Amino acid sequence: MGILITGVAILLVSISGCFTSKEVAAKTGVQLWAENCSRCHNTPSPAAFSAEQWKTVGMHMQTRAQLTDVERDKIVAFLSGK
Amino acid sequence: MKSFKIFMAIAAVLPLLLSTTAAMAQQTTVDSALLDRVSALEQQAAEARPGEDHLMVAGVVTMGLVTGKTTNTLGGVVTTNRTSSFGNADTYEFSPMLLWRHGDKFLMEFEPSFNNDGLGVNWADVSYFAAPGLILRAGYMVIPFGIYNKRLAAGWIDKLATDPIGLDIPNSTDYGVEAMGGFPLGNMKWSYDVGVFNGMQLLPDGELQGVGINDNNINKTFSGRLGLLPFSNSSLELGVSALTGKVGDEGSPFANARANMYAFDLSTVQKINPFSVNIKAQYNIVNVDRQNYVNPGDSTQTYSYNNHSTSAFGVISLRPSYVDDKVLKNMELSFRYADYIAPANSAWGSNTNQVTEGLAYWMNWRTVLKLTHETTNGNSTVNQIIAPATGNTKTDYWFIQFSILL
Repeated sequence: MGILITGVAILLVSISGCFTSKEVAAKTGVQLWAENCSRCHNTPSPAAFSAEQWKTVGMHMQTRAQLTDVERDKIVAFLSGK
Repeated sequence: MKSFKIFMAIAAVLPLLLSTTAAMAQQTTVDSALLDRVSALEQQAAEARPGEDHLMVAGVVTMGLVTGKTTNTLGGVVTTNRTSSFGNADTYEFSPMLLWRHGDKFLMEFEPSFNNDGLGVNWADVSYFAAPGLILRAGYMVIPFGIYNKRLAAGWIDKLATDPIGLDIPNSTDYGVEAMGGFPLGNMKWSYDVGVFNGMQLLPDGELQGVGINDNNINKTFSGRLGLLPFSNSSLELGVSALTGKVGDEGSPFANARANMYAFDLSTVQKINPFSVNIKAQYNIVNVDRQNYVNPGDSTQTYSYNNHSTSAFGVISLRPSYVDDKVLKNMELSFRYADYIAPANSAWGSNTNQVTEGLAYWMNWRTVLKLTHETTNGNSTVNQIIAPATGNTKTDYWFIQFSILL
């Protein structure tokens, strides 16, 4: 099972790494926050939660909206004021 | 004279001695207060350290008032029922959600809910962030099928007070395991969300219902959705979903009955100055293998029909987000049309269309006050040879709803 997960993970990372355009890679956290959160709901205020809470919320929202890992990390960093 | 000199010396030294003693006592007091303060700060710092675990409470509270009437016409006889009540399934929900993050790899979600059905659970699951683009999840969760139930149904997200008709099949939540992730694809982005679940149960009249935690057969139901966001700004998402699984009870005449379902969804957010335009749509198809169902009027007899149904909704919302007026920019106007086509000649069901319009006022990004008006028109598709006719039913309701993200 572990080998299967690792294999799938390597495959997926390879696919994602190969096909990221420069435009997408250059997007900032604030851009991604504005573009992705509004797909379903209003853009949240950074003041709504603490940095630790945003980290948790980011993981929760990734399971809802299937954000990429880079998007999640950049959005959480922006909302956390980093 | 000597005594006077001694007295003067003592008089001169005494205040010095006294002041030194007082200063020492004060110093001791200051040191003690400082140490207490330092100790308190150390404790606060220890508590504020991020650590590996984090527990927080989010969730949603939705409440309101529904008032209106239902009119049924059957054989020329018209009956009308009026209602006005605080809360029903759509207008009352108190659902605090516990999010427990264990390090960077595990997330537990648990959302108990008090609503019209009493006290229940919306979801209770564990997610493992295995690798970039690979999240594994197990437990009781929203199944991956379409976009409404997973992303848009929450009261603080939905701009209207009600859910569109026809989205209760397949069941929105189920026990199972799931894998999901999202990836860039050049300027585009795609996502997958697939899972295996207990599935649904085919009832003797051909209706479907969720089986819950005890599966009714040894087969599992597969459900999944693929999403594509063709533009780099993620302003458009297209999705396709499929579900398949056996739905009959083990050992019953329905044992081999299989349900196949499909959904197509669209989501877009566009800026058309001064408006933010939000469009969502979903189309569901439900097919169940043809079976001989039990005649409700005579259980020794069977009957059959094409167990095929469809449902669809489309909603457009306009919000003048780019005007300067602080009141106007927080208002959002929405219009939704929903439609459900029931199987013909069954012992249940109605072809129903639903028109919903509403005005929402956003008090802040996660708090909304809604005024919604909804009319539905249902025409029975029941086979009148095997079941009593239910006629034509019209409803006309107003909703006032308040919702907040905790």
